[in-house]
Amino acid sequence: MLTADLARSRTTGDAIKPLFIDPTDENYRETARELIALFDAHLGEPKGDLEDAIDELTVADTDYKIVQGLAKLLLDECEFEVRSPVEPREIRQTLFEKANERYPVVRQPTLGDDTQKIEVYSAVADELGISLEACYRGMYADLEENKRLVQIGTRTADQYAGAGEQSTTTTTLTGSSDGEYEHTDLTVDWLVTRYNLALAQAVLYDATEMRIRVWDHFGTVFSYVKLFGLMHRIYPINSDGKRVERTDCADGYEAILDGPASLFSQSQKYGIRLANFLPALPLCDRWEMTATVLVDETAGETRQLRLDDTDGLDSHYSTGRQFDSDLEQTLAQKWERATTDWELLRENDVFDLGDEVMIPDFAIEHPDGRRAILEIIGFWTPEYLESKLKKIRQADAENLLVAVSEQLDCSNDDFGKTSERMLWFKTGIHVYDLVELAEEYSI
Amino acid sequence: MRVEFDDGTLLLRDAPDNIPYAEWDDRVDEYRTQAYRYRSLLEWVGAWSDGNEQATLQDGFAHALEDTARAYPALDLTPALHIEPRDYQQAALNAWIDHGRQGSVVLPTGSGKTFLGLQAIADAGVSALVVTPTIDLMNQWHATLTNAFGDQLTEPIGVLGGGSHEVTAITVTTYDSAYRYINEYGDQFGLLVVDEEHHLPAPTYRQIPEMTIAPYRLGLTATYERPDGKHELLEDLIGPVVYEEAVDELAGEYLSEYETIHMSVELTAEERETYDEEYQIYRDYVDSHEFDLWKEEGYQEFLKRTSYDPKGRRALIAKQRAERIARTAEKKLETLDNLLKRHYDDRAIIFTANNDFAYEISQEFIVPCITHQTKTDERTEILERFRTGEYSMLATSQVLDEGIDVPAANVGIILSGSASKRQYAQRLGRILRPTDDRQPARLYEIITADTMETYVSQQRRQGVTTNADG
Repeated sequence: MLTADLARSRTTGDAIKPLFIDPTDENYRETARELIALFDAHLGEPKGDLEDAIDELTVADTDYKIVQGLAKLLLDECEFEVRSPVEPREIRQTLFEKANERYPVVRQPTLGDDTQKIEVYSAVADELGISLEACYRGMYADLEENKRLVQIGTRTADQYAGAGEQSTTTTTLTGSSDGEYEHTDLTVDWLVTRYNLALAQAVLYDATEMRIRVWDHFGTVFSYVKLFGLMHRIYPINSDGKRVERTDCADGYEAILDGPASLFSQSQKYGIRLANFLPALPLCDRWEMTATVLVDETAGETRQLRLDDTDGLDSHYSTGRQFDSDLEQTLAQKWERATTDWELLRENDVFDLGDEVMIPDFAIEHPDGRRAILEIIGFWTPEYLESKLKKIRQADAENLLVAVSEQLDCSNDDFGKTSERMLWFKTGIHVYDLVELAEEYSI
Repeated sequence: MRVEFDDGTLLLRDAPDNIPYAEWDDRVDEYRTQAYRYRSLLEWVGAWSDGNEQATLQDGFAHALEDTARAYPALDLTPALHIEPRDYQQAALNAWIDHGRQGSVVLPTGSGKTFLGLQAIADAGVSALVVTPTIDLMNQWHATLTNAFGDQLTEPIGVLGGGSHEVTAITVTTYDSAYRYINEYGDQFGLLVVDEEHHLPAPTYRQIPEMTIAPYRLGLTATYERPDGKHELLEDLIGPVVYEEAVDELAGEYLSEYETIHMSVELTAEERETYDEEYQIYRDYVDSHEFDLWKEEGYQEFLKRTSYDPKGRRALIAKQRAERIARTAEKKLETLDNLLKRHYDDRAIIFTANNDFAYEISQEFIVPCITHQTKTDERTEILERFRTGEYSMLATSQVLDEGIDVPAANVGIILSGSASKRQYAQRLGRILRPTDDRQPARLYEIITADTMETYVSQQRRQGVTTNADG
């Protein structure tokens, strides 16, 4: 994401709008191309050199914020590493101790030529069993600017060295802080569209509340609401975006997103979370968003940021349901450690429900051929739950087990015939509870 | 009723409708209150007990309370102090204890507020979070707390901020980091210490005390009142002013006598050529636009232009490059080399204004070095070694002051500094203590002749003189 100083926006009246760039503008595309090439050229090199080279691109360029912004997004995809045979801190500590006995370690000693400095460095190098150069370079190898660029996206320095001049397109699920839900192609197209999204995210850092309207991909959207720790109020809406009384005549949903403390005061505390959530919206075919942005915190002055599917924003998030997959992953791990003949399998049983399909999460199989199907319902909205339960009733499968989170506000009755094949859980699902159900209901 | 800490707030499950301080949260259909109401809430229920006192139940009115919010441990600490508390420090501590360990102490700068903080932490006997406005101050608290409690704790003093993210029973942090993370850690501290608390009433920072349950709170400042009147919020968030001591009631600490030696170096021919070239680009641009650079508005006008005029942008870069050449002039290292030869037996601190130069000196002369990049624990260790004499030299791009246990040097060498008068004056006060009686402490200032530095240095000295007179 962009740092606040790289944000670019304009306010008119009560509105605030990011200064989007035209992703087809050849000037920006050229800059993006240049930057990607620059990063490639610096694989294996110190971070400081890379940053100097980026600065060099902006010497007489008033678009420097754009250049720095694009560079920041690329930097976010990079990994830097300390390269030293011995912990740098140990090297320098040993050096300082040794030098302290011999001060002054100066340039023009009265006897000899530069010998004291070299003597200290080589004595420490010998003591630590490393070369003189490794000792000198390693002393501050852990400084940010001395760390080496070892990876851009999934491309590592070693791979790159072996591969030679290859395509600059890499597809990757980036790990670490970026989250596994992010999907990245390090191309010019990715960079310029990611940049526009990042500009909008930067405006949201100061947002106090977000009002969204979506007409599809509800599951995906609300799993991201949950993932980023936001709270919501939900209202069913029709195709014009007007609120309607009942869920069954809804075409879409409106939701107001904020956080726990928003109950007490207008808080920017959740701005970062709202910014993180934003990329979930372009996953929908039709969406609208209005955020209240605090532009002057002392005066409490606000502006409205309005975005929708016509702004050309593109998401790098996956459409997977995050919260459910966390639950599923944990269950799979627990199953590994448990002792039972029953096996937990990822299966693609498809229940044809007419105009749509339901694909349960797991199958539970016994070596003797008995089999049950498992559907997990983690966090969801009442509306989602309603449609889910309907599907489960429609599927009408005798061996369909359902595990439901107690966070959901619903009673046993909702489940029709599946209610006895149902497992309530609080934070996690217990393997043996499921095995018990499988023993009973498998066919 | 069940009290839960939820993301910086308290969720009150099955609370009665007459519950005070709370708002109905229709998103979860429960009452919710701000985390800082924790103690008041317990008091209302009759479940609050303070130290040795028993919880006092209101007559015929004791709500069953399940408290899952409190996640902070009790601690039994005795500060390892080298000095006795001064009378006013003891009086301040007593006043704070008498006010139920909630409130602000107003003491002038340099009167040992950190020292008071240590005693409060030991007295409260619970885990503590210390919030400071800058990374510098955070580092100083870390050093002081490590000295006082380091041996008694099972884990090191925690650091949240400046690139570190270790939260332990006693943790130091900055306002910015605290604001960012308090909703995660607001249940883990029983005592909240806020240094320079007059910064706290800003809308964002205000959420730091709001989102923590800490039943004990101590605010420290030299300037309690804010021009905007917002200090009134502090009473609700921290507690009342429990003790105040004016400046002149305290015995002043005098700067020791020292001798200042100004030295100037020339740029090398090559440096001079580049310097003149870059400086000319800057000068030409400025002259052709009639900015009055001696005035604040004129300089702002110049900066503004650099954001849309490519030539202006180039001029700004030219200025930065010229400054850099002057700051890191080759001959400064030669002069430093000579000074280190002369003072090899002394305790010297070398100041630079930028990190690069500090590291260059560290590698060239093999002296320990502290910059903004130095991690808090390593910084504390280096200072400790300097204090004990294990290290006799130190290079730094940081202001090392205000801490109570900062080691003294008798030689200061300023290789380059910012024009900030305050910073300069603090630097002087910090280092200039003679380590023996025979010779006064000495301060060298090395500047590059015929560059922008010449002007900055003059301005700086004027600032110090003014301060000393005032």
